[in-house]
Amino acid sequence: MNHAAAAPAGSLGPELSGEAVRAHWRLAWLSTVDHKRIGILYLLFAFLFFVIGGLEALFIRLQLAVPNNTLVGPDTFNALFTMHGTTMIFLVAMPALFGLANYFVPLMIGARDMAFPRLNALSVWLIPLGAALLHFSIFTGMPKVGWFAYAPLSETPYNPELGVEYWILALIVLGIGSVATAVNLIATVLCLRAPGMTLRRVPLFVWINFVNSFIVVFALPVLNAGLVMLLLDRQFGTSFFLDREGGSAVLWQHIFWAFGHPEVYILALPAFAIVSEVVPVFSRKPIFGYEFVALSSVAIALLSFAVWAHHMFTIGLGRAADTFFVIASMLIAIPTGVKVLNWTATMFRGRIRLTVAMKYAIAFVIQFTLGGLSGVTHASAALDWQTKNSYYLVAHFHYVAVGGVVFAVLAGLEYWFPKISGRMLSERLGNWTFWLMTVGFNATFGIQHVLGFVGMPRRVYTYPDFTHWGWMNLVSTVGACLMAAAGLVLAYNLLRSLRRGTSAGDNPWQGWTLEWATSSPPPAHNFVALPPLRSRRPLWDSAHPEQPDPPVGPSGPLLIPDRGKTSVWTLIASEAAFFGTLLFAFIYLNLSPHSGREAAFSLDLKMTGIFSLFLFSSSFTLWRAEAAEARGHRAGTLGWLGLTIGLGVVFLAGQAMEYVLLYREGAVLQSKLFWSSFYLVTGFHGFHVFAGLIALLIVFGLIAGGRFAGRRSPLVAIGLYWHFVDIVWVFVLATVYFLPRFL
Amino acid sequence: MNLNRLLLEGWSANPWVLGGCSVFTLLFARAFGTRARWRWLIAALAVVVLALLSPLAALADGVLFSAHMTQHILLLLIAPGLLLLALPRAFTLRVAHPLARRLPLLGWAAGIGAMWFWHAPALCNAAAVSGPVRALQTLSLLALGTLFWWPILAPAERDRLLPGHGVAYLFTACLGCSALGMILTLTPVEICSVYQAPLAASQPWADFRGLFSAQHDRQIGGLLMWIPMCSVYVAAIMLELSRWHGAPAAAEELSS
Repeated sequence: MNHAAAAPAGSLGPELSGEAVRAHWRLAWLSTVDHKRIGILYLLFAFLFFVIGGLEALFIRLQLAVPNNTLVGPDTFNALFTMHGTTMIFLVAMPALFGLANYFVPLMIGARDMAFPRLNALSVWLIPLGAALLHFSIFTGMPKVGWFAYAPLSETPYNPELGVEYWILALIVLGIGSVATAVNLIATVLCLRAPGMTLRRVPLFVWINFVNSFIVVFALPVLNAGLVMLLLDRQFGTSFFLDREGGSAVLWQHIFWAFGHPEVYILALPAFAIVSEVVPVFSRKPIFGYEFVALSSVAIALLSFAVWAHHMFTIGLGRAADTFFVIASMLIAIPTGVKVLNWTATMFRGRIRLTVAMKYAIAFVIQFTLGGLSGVTHASAALDWQTKNSYYLVAHFHYVAVGGVVFAVLAGLEYWFPKISGRMLSERLGNWTFWLMTVGFNATFGIQHVLGFVGMPRRVYTYPDFTHWGWMNLVSTVGACLMAAAGLVLAYNLLRSLRRGTSAGDNPWQGWTLEWATSSPPPAHNFVALPPLRSRRPLWDSAHPEQPDPPVGPSGPLLIPDRGKTSVWTLIASEAAFFGTLLFAFIYLNLSPHSGREAAFSLDLKMTGIFSLFLFSSSFTLWRAEAAEARGHRAGTLGWLGLTIGLGVVFLAGQAMEYVLLYREGAVLQSKLFWSSFYLVTGFHGFHVFAGLIALLIVFGLIAGGRFAGRRSPLVAIGLYWHFVDIVWVFVLATVYFLPRFL
Repeated sequence: MNLNRLLLEGWSANPWVLGGCSVFTLLFARAFGTRARWRWLIAALAVVVLALLSPLAALADGVLFSAHMTQHILLLLIAPGLLLLALPRAFTLRVAHPLARRLPLLGWAAGIGAMWFWHAPALCNAAAVSGPVRALQTLSLLALGTLFWWPILAPAERDRLLPGHGVAYLFTACLGCSALGMILTLTPVEICSVYQAPLAASQPWADFRGLFSAQHDRQIGGLLMWIPMCSVYVAAIMLELSRWHGAPAAAEELSS
């Protein structure tokens, strides 16, 4: 079915005017479920926090401008760099990239909206909630632990103020929002493509964001698992990451970087995605080696999970581990280098149009390559020992995060702003921004490579007047001020263009992908009609019928998976990552010499076994309920479903009984590392059983109310989740109840 | 600890292995003749020889856990994959089609199960000291590895998983062996105490124990299972996707 042709006309037509429009305008942005407005909201939030995070950076640089400066004190300085890092990653880079993906992925695949518009609205509004939680710490004492909050510094004895709690809560909220966005993007790409838009024909922007969503789905839950453990440590007196009772601060580093390294690619891949659209359009050539860009993105995504330990060379993992991670980390340079080759080969012999967007893209390629190369030097453990936590490291990751990610976002903004607003940005002002930004950025961070090599450590609030340190820091600060000026010109350019920019028309850059096949800004329903889709550049084919691109793959009806099942499977993947982390932590903490062996023997296996049987049989009864529904037996469905819910309740009651008995025996959350991790794993499993029960109850109520008369209910999709929590229990039983007895 | 001597004299001529390889090659030649892709078969046999007869096998014989793990990976992951690539292009089995497409879990469980099963402490130790158990282990690794690779590397396309499912199959397999690898690398758990126990005086390569400390030896074993093994799966994922992109008549969708 062609979504566009069947969609109703826009709701906000020209017949509405004056007061009605204004009223609509006011409410519409709060209650919107339109992917385009949500995309814009993402971008606006990102811009707001870019200003805040940028001001924090400016204060950092002003404090360091001259030796022995006293503009801000050490505590404020610590709070500034913590807030700056957290803000820029979670409240600027991710929202900006998600915003562009939200706006353009549905347009590029010819869809009407995202797969789950209301979930989409939830994701975007979780950003201000998370931001409010983070900034509430202003009233309680800001977190001063750095963006990676290394334990034990982030533990209560060393940071008793509540700022760390707000930091944790903010990150949990933002993590949940990000996973929801990723689930939504995956379901959108798989289930909402227009006829002819096979997965081999989607623009690289769509493909890379699709691949990236899988990293989000697997990586963010790992962080959330670590965060809840840190929160338990701080609020409930457990000691997962504290040395007493055999907890391990190194475990926090493992968990954090198992998330943190993929996070680098969560930011970098969408940047690659933007550049892979901008470079071909302004080189007037199709991308060189589409397949190589597509496949290298998958390789980067996969490898990103296997190399986190290169952030931990200095904690003493041992020579063996270091060697393996050095090699694996250097491997990532290969697929990344492939991409750089693809972009340059695309530009080679192209008719390059040096628009501002293209300039940002070219600067991206150069600066990202530099950041990547200094990254490879860090992958060498021996060199890393010397330069770790020096300004050389700061320079490296800012070349990736600013020279790479921010420049790519700016390229995307210049490229797509005409589509979003219907108006062109001023190229003259854009050039001012570009040159201020490029000179400012390279001045700020280029010289920090040298500062690092002469020994300046990061995160010091001031420094003595060593030879050359003063002027180099001053250069860096002047560069930062140039970047701030660039930001002001950019803001002026955006506002000026919104008021009196020239009209953009549908396709100002002669782009080839579907977002340019509709008006600027697109109507609420996105498309009136779509051009035929046979290749990767449908608009080129329409404009040049005499020499169209060779068709990619055969054209047949698309095989579209079920939307509900796709999203539940994706959710299950992220939950599996969460439980995987918890179980890994359990093993890590309990297989040490201080094993919980004796404690494990005081668990009542017989009782647990009986209650487990109840849980496992609920999977059987649910399967019968699904079968009854397939045959159209409503009473049978309700009966089996009711039985399933009953069995689940019995299991939870059994778990509650177990907890009560254990608490009476003195096996409380804080008493021993074994019990802390026992309650952590079983508690979260119980919580997920509870959530599954609620979902089943809702389906039960809806079926009983006749909501799905004649149609299939979402029972099968929801049921997948229920089967999943049952399977998790198998792993919990094996790991928590049995394993400690044998090792 | 003389490395040159090990490389020269560490080879063994186990008649069972040589006989098995010869019989297998003869049977293979009889069944497929010139249709077989012999280069791959030679590679597979070379890997088997490397794993079972080379100095590596000498060190895996109770001396070094890391050598044992290398042997294990070669037999489970490398040799069976090469063997499947050696089959003629149109080769298929009547049972193989439903096996791959309807029961991919079976192949997956075979591959991952073999890794976990043979590293249960009792079995790992038994395989290191007892000849028959070792033979059983070797054969089962080769067989289970073949079962694992079938849905990915079967010669006929209809026996293989759809590309998207294949990617999920390989990615989860990578997680499955990484989990064990991480535990071995990052925790002090001991699963093969044989590699710690004193060696018999008759063991000619006993002094190679000194190459690594016990902890490093175990860590290297875990890391081998974690990083290089996953690299093989990642390479296979690249193969899946490039096949999907490359062949014009290939399955149009990643999954259905």
